[in-house]
Amino acid sequence: MAIVYKKNSAVFSETAGAEEAEALLEWLDKHPKGKIDLASCTHLHPANLQVLMAAKCSVSVRPADLALAAWIDSALKSI
Amino acid sequence: MPTIRSAWRRRCGAASVSDAALKAAPPPVRDPLQNAQELLLLSGIPEQVRMDAYRSKATGGCLTFIAYRPAEDCFFQGDDPFFQARQTPGIFWGGISARKKWPELAELDAYCCLLDFHLLSEAPAGELAEYYRYVSEQLQTIPVSPRCLILPQGDHNGGPVYEDFAGDALGLLHDGDTEGLIRAARSMLELSNRELWLSSALRWLLLVAELEPDNRPVLEAVITSLSRLTAPDWHAVEAAPAATPTATAPASETSASEECAAGKARLLRQEESAATSAILAAQREVLSLPDDVAWIAGRIKSAAASLEGCLRGSGALGQLPGLQQAGRSAQALLSAAPLLIWLDAYARAQADPGQEPDDSPVSSPVDGQESAVTQASPATAATAPDGEVKFGRRVEDVYAAAKSIKVDQVKIDRLMNLIGEMVVAKNALPYLAGRAESVFGVPEFSREIKAQYAVINRIAEEMRDSIMQVRMMPVSFVFQRFPRLVRDTSNKLGKEVVLLLEGEETEADKNIIESLGDPLVHIVRNSLDHGIEAPETRLAAGKPSAGTVVIRASQEADRVVIEIRDDGKGIDPAVIKRKAYEKGLIDAERLERITDPEAVNLVFASGFSTAETVSDLSGRGVGMDVVRTAIEKVNGTVQLDSEKGKGTRIRISLPLSMAVTNVMIVESKGQIFGVPMDAVLETVRVPRRAIKTIKKSMATVLRGRIVPLKGLNALLGLAAGQKANDEDELAVLVVNVAGQALGILVDDFHETVDIILKPLTGVLAGLAAYAGSALLGDGSVLMVLNVKEVL
Repeated sequence: MAIVYKKNSAVFSETAGAEEAEALLEWLDKHPKGKIDLASCTHLHPANLQVLMAAKCSVSVRPADLALAAWIDSALKSI
Repeated sequence: MPTIRSAWRRRCGAASVSDAALKAAPPPVRDPLQNAQELLLLSGIPEQVRMDAYRSKATGGCLTFIAYRPAEDCFFQGDDPFFQARQTPGIFWGGISARKKWPELAELDAYCCLLDFHLLSEAPAGELAEYYRYVSEQLQTIPVSPRCLILPQGDHNGGPVYEDFAGDALGLLHDGDTEGLIRAARSMLELSNRELWLSSALRWLLLVAELEPDNRPVLEAVITSLSRLTAPDWHAVEAAPAATPTATAPASETSASEECAAGKARLLRQEESAATSAILAAQREVLSLPDDVAWIAGRIKSAAASLEGCLRGSGALGQLPGLQQAGRSAQALLSAAPLLIWLDAYARAQADPGQEPDDSPVSSPVDGQESAVTQASPATAATAPDGEVKFGRRVEDVYAAAKSIKVDQVKIDRLMNLIGEMVVAKNALPYLAGRAESVFGVPEFSREIKAQYAVINRIAEEMRDSIMQVRMMPVSFVFQRFPRLVRDTSNKLGKEVVLLLEGEETEADKNIIESLGDPLVHIVRNSLDHGIEAPETRLAAGKPSAGTVVIRASQEADRVVIEIRDDGKGIDPAVIKRKAYEKGLIDAERLERITDPEAVNLVFASGFSTAETVSDLSGRGVGMDVVRTAIEKVNGTVQLDSEKGKGTRIRISLPLSMAVTNVMIVESKGQIFGVPMDAVLETVRVPRRAIKTIKKSMATVLRGRIVPLKGLNALLGLAAGQKANDEDELAVLVVNVAGQALGILVDDFHETVDIILKPLTGVLAGLAAYAGSALLGDGSVLMVLNVKEVL
């Protein structure tokens, strides 16, 4: 599992595949204030990204990968 | 009407960035400075990124803005557009935005792609088109001149004080005092709030002044925009002739930027001329329709209007009066003829620019058609320049060479079976020839049959060889998994290992290659686990810290030899001997006699393991035994040499193909049996008196060596002795069993034949004494002995 769900945060690691999106959507639906930790995320499938954007959630830790961080910032800023 | 349709399509292709246009030509270059929407898109790029891009491209080079809108269902096709976008060549910046407002979370379909990707790339258009070739219709590429990146952003709350500044700055610029200008801009910047639009413009002004201090028109445009609080108007700058006296810019870079601009202009002309000729062709078609309809006046009017617009669009204003006159006379006559005549003349003038079209041309329609054709051809040629990148998606793009077909293996197997039957049927001919001579007494006919047989034999053999070629695969098929295996395993064990693969292109039958996989994996794992030592141990032994494992494949005559060699600690024969004795694999007597090379090969004995503990890698005691069995199953042999402290070498020898087996036919008690030629060492006739009986077993001395003898009848449980020939000599077939010579007494020898060996199936499958059966040319069944099992 590339996403580990903790009490009030979802921790991404490495590459989050398309199949994770459904669970993420469900989790965010239940935890609208849930925090997203992307520190060790290297890539995430756009389906996941869409869910994050639609949920207008807050990314508590930006990805260590600066290129990815720039992409994600632009995506989350646009909503 | 295909022509109109195609003309329309071409017009569309020229007017918008459609799929076809992208494929056929580099993306049509629209005026990069014009489109307000594009400026809007560019303004989405952070100022810092734009500044960096400008900095790197200010002195020449092109940038491309890409708007990539993946299909909504692309996730279901396994696409990852985000990944694709991230990997874009020459990427400068990328951003993601939502296509529309997001629905409530509960209604969101995570798998419907609603994302748009925007990218700024410095890669050439051709490379981008190649990279995005599978989604080209979802792509909009816009060439961006670096200057378009100068887009100040921010709060517009300015004051009249800036107007003063603009006036001063322009004055400084005119006096050529760039230093002063920079100073003034700096101090102005310090005074203003960072978030203001004006601060942003000032930052740009500073950047431009820093990079191109002599590019006055650009600086002027930025300053003017400062005073007007609008984005700089680049049209004015572009229009200014020779706007850039680039004294400081290096000459090479200047020429690069000029080339880039010239290239764009040329492309623009080509695109335009294609579009123009398409419009002209369409109008010609409309005008060529019969005149006897009620709406002729409307048609003429519309055609004239289209042509007029076309002329205006392409800037050929000089032609307008002629066209208007032709239109008026056409209206008056209610006939399309004057307009058609004008069109012909115009087309001729286009083809030959030196000649102006006159108002009363004398020309036949045929001429006009021809000239239209000649005009059209350069345009079409222009859309497909020679250097175009081909993607192999269209029929004409398909590369002529290197074709291959994917065929189901079942079909090849069927071919193989058929050729096997063919070989058997062919083998019937010599029997027939023999019968013709002995039974019917016509030796001439027998000779003819034999001559014919030679021809069929040659063809059948060639055919068999080529079918076997089809089944050949390179050993790289098995080798490719090793780099990863070695890396993972060595990481796990904390050892440093260099893997060398050699002779990967060596080919062998598919079945052989496939049967190689598991044994090889096992051997390599063993080498890593037991062979290669830890780096410290290696250094202490005076070896490089990284161990080497070499896997080499080569072909030797009709066999493939795979050699796995490592420079590890080798195998200690003393340990092997002791272990083998402890496990009861050898008795005390053998323990005394066994040589070191023989001892190390004991690792292949079943149940042998030297490892003290069982790890998940090896040490279960089934390993090398399984390796040997798997290799012997395909008629291969495996041999191990090792030198303590130096390393180990395992040699696997496999037949190239297992389809055809060469067997020798022997006779015993009236029956014939086949013995694989691989096993046969020699055939000799031994006088009965030369056979000595030692206790109960027989032996003879052959060239100074004692060869034990066994009777085939006795081995097979046939109650009869072996027959001798007239000189009281017994036929001895000397075979090689596990490296040792052994004589099998038979009644008689026959010829050798090539057969397709069929393994025994069903209830006979349990008969280990036979390797299989084969059909002979005369229809009889030949049982092929499994020499090792018989003994």
